[in-house]
Amino acid sequence: MKLIKAIVRPNKVDDIKDALGKVNISGMTVTEVRGHGRQKGHTAIYRGKEYNVSLLPKMEVEVVVTDDLVEAAIQAIMGSARTGEIGDGRVFVIPVEHGYNIRTGERDVV
Amino acid sequence: MPVVSPVLVGPNTMSTAKARDLGTTEGRRRLTALLSAAREEFVVDVQRGAGGRVAHARFADHLDELIRQIVDAARTHTETPVAVAALGGYGRRTLCLQSDIDLLIVFDGRIGRPEERFVKSVLHPLWDLRLTVGHQVRVLKDFDQPERDNPEFLLALFDARLLAGDEAVFEPAQEKFRGSSVDCREEILEALLQLTEQRHEQSNYTIYQLEPDVKDSPGGLRDVVAARILLSFAETVTSDTMDRQRLDQAEDFLLRGRSVLHLATNRNLNVLSHDLQERVAERLRYQGAQPQQRVEALMGAYFRHARNVNRALDRAHRAAGPSARDTTRVALGLNLELTADGIGFVDRQQAAGDPASWLGVFEAAIDRRVPVSDDALSLFETYAARYTPLDYLPSSAERQRLRRFLRPRPGLYARLSEMHDCGLLPRLFPEFQAISYRVIRDFYHKYTVDEHTLLTVRGIERLLSPAQRSRERFSSLLGELRSPGLLVLALLFADVGKWKDDNHAEESVRMVQTVLDRLEVTPEGRQDVEFLIGQHLQMSRAAFRRDSEDPAVVRQFAALVGTEERLKMLCLMTVADVEAVSTETLTAWKEELLWRLYVDTYNHLTLGYGDEMIERGQAAVAALQATRPDDLTEAELARFLEGFPQRYLAFFDAVHIYRHARLSRDIHPDEVHLFLEQKGEVWELSVVTLDKPYLFSNISGVLSYFGMDILRGSAMTSPAGLVLDIFQFTDHEGFFRFNPDATPQFEKLLQDVVAGRQDVTELLQRKESGFRHRRGPRRVSPVVNFDNEHSQRYTVLEIVAQDALGLLYRISRVISRHGCDVDLVLISTEGNKAIDVFHLTKAAAKLSEPAQMALKEDLERMLEEGYETH
Repeated sequence: MKLIKAIVRPNKVDDIKDALGKVNISGMTVTEVRGHGRQKGHTAIYRGKEYNVSLLPKMEVEVVVTDDLVEAAIQAIMGSARTGEIGDGRVFVIPVEHGYNIRTGERDVV
Repeated sequence: MPVVSPVLVGPNTMSTAKARDLGTTEGRRRLTALLSAAREEFVVDVQRGAGGRVAHARFADHLDELIRQIVDAARTHTETPVAVAALGGYGRRTLCLQSDIDLLIVFDGRIGRPEERFVKSVLHPLWDLRLTVGHQVRVLKDFDQPERDNPEFLLALFDARLLAGDEAVFEPAQEKFRGSSVDCREEILEALLQLTEQRHEQSNYTIYQLEPDVKDSPGGLRDVVAARILLSFAETVTSDTMDRQRLDQAEDFLLRGRSVLHLATNRNLNVLSHDLQERVAERLRYQGAQPQQRVEALMGAYFRHARNVNRALDRAHRAAGPSARDTTRVALGLNLELTADGIGFVDRQQAAGDPASWLGVFEAAIDRRVPVSDDALSLFETYAARYTPLDYLPSSAERQRLRRFLRPRPGLYARLSEMHDCGLLPRLFPEFQAISYRVIRDFYHKYTVDEHTLLTVRGIERLLSPAQRSRERFSSLLGELRSPGLLVLALLFADVGKWKDDNHAEESVRMVQTVLDRLEVTPEGRQDVEFLIGQHLQMSRAAFRRDSEDPAVVRQFAALVGTEERLKMLCLMTVADVEAVSTETLTAWKEELLWRLYVDTYNHLTLGYGDEMIERGQAAVAALQATRPDDLTEAELARFLEGFPQRYLAFFDAVHIYRHARLSRDIHPDEVHLFLEQKGEVWELSVVTLDKPYLFSNISGVLSYFGMDILRGSAMTSPAGLVLDIFQFTDHEGFFRFNPDATPQFEKLLQDVVAGRQDVTELLQRKESGFRHRRGPRRVSPVVNFDNEHSQRYTVLEIVAQDALGLLYRISRVISRHGCDVDLVLISTEGNKAIDVFHLTKAAAKLSEPAQMALKEDLERMLEEGYETH
């Protein structure tokens, strides 16, 4: 079981959700985040004054999938989040030891 | 298992015979049966919708009996005199099915092992019955000194009620509580108000929750209790009989609702959630063919009771406060007076027959930062339905007054809420009635549509003194708006179309037409309000759902808003709208996205517009040609428009464009065709001429010479050399006001200067020294910035500086001295800040880096000159 964490452009979340749905992955957690990668922000000018925009608004999408679905999930995320421009984001894959359903107390079957 | 038939006994009956066998299985079974029977009786009441005050009290009485039996049995453990009392809701006999049992145990003597055994013997059977028990243990001597550091406990003692044990212990304890409540009046009051404030803050200070907590939300059960405590503190004799009755009625309603919630969830849960509203509506027998109608009837009743509680709480707060003794009445004229209660009428009867005077109460309340008096509100409540909108606004003066009333100021939300609560707002604007208490269930919204609308006004009002630093940037936009009242007007009606289930923005635009007619809003203002309402969802869509870093998205959004003024209004409207959804919706993340889209769009509108030229075949041009007056030929209009930036079409309506086209007719070198008109305090000068060096500088110099204070404007040059300059200015020195032949004088000098027959620099020499003299301390640090990126054709020069008479002339003189051509100019003034954007070329190309540096140096030097230093 893996936790897939993707940092993406805010407007790409719906596309990612649809793409994951197509490979039968329905559960996801979405969080508003701010940060920078290689972009390191940029300088904006408003009324002649420069200001540094170092932390850019992004969305973090988290999905936990069984090992056999990891590759499909990654491809779904990358395929739907890519524009080809700097700032498309990152995808991380992290191992998960166990998962539990709080309501039923059941442990996820891997 | 033997079945025990419980016998419910009255509150004052002590069945001591069986009390001592509670440690046995039989004894425990008897307690369980007693509790079950009490619950069953309560459930029967709840099922017939009668789980209110009487049912709660009866349930409390049965619990009293149960606890008496337990206490009686526990008495074997100690000889020390002891009293067991109920606190909180149990003390008030408003005990619900799943409520906590709050107990106070007081010993008249030291607490040793026997007393500890007594406490355990009381608590363990209650825990075994799966009751949630809160307990406080004290000795009588503890009450000698009130627990000033524990005001919540002092508050709880208000409701203490003896359940079992020695009256000889409870009575002196109670005497001491009462003494404490006098001695610690201020601490208790402060604690009560602080706890109330914290609760209200969590609910965003509004009763109009879509899923209210009947206990904790504003207007809920805790507020009923708070109002009663405050009334008990009130030193003056107030006419509170009505409030007490309304509190009783509200409490009964809220308790009936709560009992259904406890029964349905089997938990101490007090939130009237969407999924439980239908069940509560059904149990409380609200009528309606569909479940949704029954729910709306239930929620209508809930809001009415909550509003009564809220108002009673406010009144009780004032009655308990220091100003309650103030009986001063200050006459304010026009039948208005100021009392400790707020603004009201001197002659109630006269006011009742004069609805046009009612707005004056709200105006005076805002001006003096006080509420409207209860007496005035109840008058509106009684008489509002008798009048039509026309009765409230019989003449243009009243309509203008109402438009002025809507400008954002501290207190506007509170006064509009009062207007709404007393029923006046929907009478004044029947369009608003469509969304009164309107419930729309979705994942995000927390308030009814009408309250959401009023909260957007509060959001704008709060921007006047923002609590968070990140909001200051939006506050600055509010300060720059020319007609902030239009923004409030748009906010008030943006969601009236939500009475329909789809496409509410379009429906709202349709509905606002009658409002705009009634208020006699100017055609320009009307277009702005219609635009804002029609497009009020577009900025959040572009910012949150599209890639706002994509220049194409910014370009499209800029095309939608068209002007900086509309951009600012739409941005503020979006901030207020998102914030009003719930306290958590406008996150710093969303704020940042909105601000970025604002900045990128603003830059596109002011720095990047030079490359987007009007094209012959475009729809807007075709529309202009279609409605063209007979005196203008198609070719003439096309020739005039050719090469001007697209921005021109966004900023001027057809009437202005046709006028400008006529001015361009038969223009020759050195000629000036102009049109001058006054719009209120502001004059507008339109000048058409042919391009030549120093032209812009000369025209602005002439305005400066006559003492005109330029507020805003624009200048455009077509590739064919046709120049159109528009200036809006105020007649700073009264030249037009005091000179009957001012206009011909002005025209002649302008003609002479443009033709080179007069040197404006010479004319201004005396005046220029005057300007420097008048310049006070500098409040705006000058900024000179060049941008070679936003436009393909131009170097864009942006200057922000402290506004001063003649500033534009001096800036443009320096630019012209450097051999630059001024092709496009945007001029704006925001408070004491002048923001001017010039699109420049030099020898038909963008400025080189050294040319920019040299010009920047000279401009900065000029802008630094003449300020007082401190």
